[in-house]
Amino acid sequence: MFLVVLCVVFIQCQVNIYSAFYSFIPVSNDTRDLLLATVSEDSTASQIHQSVSALSALGLPLASQEVVSALKALHVLIIILALLTASRLSQQAELGDILEEIEDLAARLDDLGGVYLQFEEGLEATALFVSAAYSLSDHVDMEPPLKEDQVIQLVNSIFSKKSWDSLSEAFSVASAAASLSNNHFHVPVIVSAQGPAAVSHSHPFLRLQVTDVLCQPLSSASVLAESASAVSSKSAVLSQALFTLRDGVFELNFMASQPASGYYQFSVAIAGDSRFVANHVELKVKVSTRVAINNMDLSVVDKDQSIGPKTTRVEYPTKAKASFMADGHQNFAMTFQLVDETTGVELTPHQTFVRLHNQKTGQEVVFVAEPDSKNLYKFELDTAERKTEFDSISGTYALYLMVGDATLENPILWNVADVVLKFLDEEAPGTIQAKTLYVPKPEIPHLFREPEKKPPTAVSNTFTALVLSPFLLLLILWFKLGANISNFTLSPSTILFHIGHAATLGLMYVYWTHLNMFQTLKYLAIIGSLTFLAGNRMLAQKAVKRYTHQ
Amino acid sequence: MSNNSVISVISRFLEEYASSTPNKLKVIDAYLLYVMMTGALQFLYCLLVGTFPFNSFLSGFISCVGSFILAVCLRIQINPQNKGKFLSISPERAFADFLFAHTVLHLVVINFIG
Repeated sequence: MFLVVLCVVFIQCQVNIYSAFYSFIPVSNDTRDLLLATVSEDSTASQIHQSVSALSALGLPLASQEVVSALKALHVLIIILALLTASRLSQQAELGDILEEIEDLAARLDDLGGVYLQFEEGLEATALFVSAAYSLSDHVDMEPPLKEDQVIQLVNSIFSKKSWDSLSEAFSVASAAASLSNNHFHVPVIVSAQGPAAVSHSHPFLRLQVTDVLCQPLSSASVLAESASAVSSKSAVLSQALFTLRDGVFELNFMASQPASGYYQFSVAIAGDSRFVANHVELKVKVSTRVAINNMDLSVVDKDQSIGPKTTRVEYPTKAKASFMADGHQNFAMTFQLVDETTGVELTPHQTFVRLHNQKTGQEVVFVAEPDSKNLYKFELDTAERKTEFDSISGTYALYLMVGDATLENPILWNVADVVLKFLDEEAPGTIQAKTLYVPKPEIPHLFREPEKKPPTAVSNTFTALVLSPFLLLLILWFKLGANISNFTLSPSTILFHIGHAATLGLMYVYWTHLNMFQTLKYLAIIGSLTFLAGNRMLAQKAVKRYTHQ
Repeated sequence: MSNNSVISVISRFLEEYASSTPNKLKVIDAYLLYVMMTGALQFLYCLLVGTFPFNSFLSGFISCVGSFILAVCLRIQINPQNKGKFLSISPERAFADFLFAHTVLHLVVINFIG
């Protein structure tokens, strides 16, 4: 690095001298690369200046934007170095101006999403700034102008990385950690649960680790659970309970307040030192419990209720000795209760399934057992209703009860009994096919538009004749009226006109069958103009004849 | 009483028509009757059987209606009693207009008949 500095200075001087005497100086590629590499954020201000002047005097291209950002980063670093230096000076010196720089620099911090606060120059600058600001503030014994949420956001940014790019970056983070845990004004508090934040009867204590940024336990703190309320019902369970310190960990016997199983929102406050920052924390704690199944009654109920139900009680985890029969005339029914093992309170876990497994074919069908208003679970199997799920395959099915929930410590899979189901034999499929989900589906053929229904040809033919019949009527009427063509003169214009007129009508027919509008218009223009001229002539002659007659 | 008067009005009208209308106009009137019947029969077919090729029905019907209108115009312009109103239009000119308008009408009809 030092050599590079020397080289750059040497080149700079040389260039300045030579440019006074020569107009062209040969530069090798290595020289140019050396100069360009010097313009980076790690260089000092004088290095940047020398390499930029050398480059521009040599007429080599510069990356101006890079130089500007390098200069900006310098500014921040200079201020931080000034703060650190000032913190070692005698207290009698006038340090007020330098102190104000802390506030100016704090204003340059970027807020990222309300969570992180850092310089755009990076982590190292932010961490060094924190360490410099606190050492100077301690030195002059004046509180730094940083608000509580700014300190929290700075802590978030500085300690967000788990590995660092360079030794200087790691040093800056360590230095910031040391100053944040050991200054006179702000000490951020880190609260975390030891292990999962869960309590149960076997583990009734909620354990919290309360430390500073360097993970040193804060033994002088007093931790108070201000309130704890159930997430589902929002009812408060605990208020103003103090944690006790044992072996560096703060613990609270939450199960002593006998909470029902579920999730609880804790609001914890840490007091004991006026320097504590971020000392109000929200935690979610899970209370789990063990479930017990009571009063499992299996019965076969006759559909028409003529014979009373036979109920068998089964105790967990044994299996019922006899198997139960359900066919078209009888339903199989099951009722049970799920209670908390210790308190006897009724529970409604998320998963209560009844699984029927055909041991021969490997088929399984799963149903959901639902609780009624008194939290008594009921399951009824009607073979006639449910035959589609079973594909009407009769046989012995093993019945399992599955109970599970996030707050249960002992999920249950219990083979309760065997059930023999009988379906109507006609409906059973010949071979049992595994349900294939991932085969190509049947092809859907494209249905072209159906042509519209037309009336029978006889009807349309009749109507065609009918519609043409008034023409006959017309001819008859004209004959009766004595219309004639006795005035027909055989002059060329008349003949041409009539030919043209007939051609127009013929063109119309051809248009209908073969042509499009453009071609028709073209032909019509030709025929029409001829017809027009001939017709004009003919009508003029007729008019003259009429006038001479009058 | 009213029955009698309606019948007498109609018979009087027919008498007047037969006697005082020139032959040329009667020829045109016969043509008008023909066109009207053709149109009515087309409409009847549409009502009975359905509008399946609707464009064809429309074009046929419009052709009848258009022809009727043009023939009425011709009749009005040719009628010697209306000579005072059409001083610049001779009967020949009226007939030429009639032919030209028919050409345009049939062009449209054939285009639409599909």
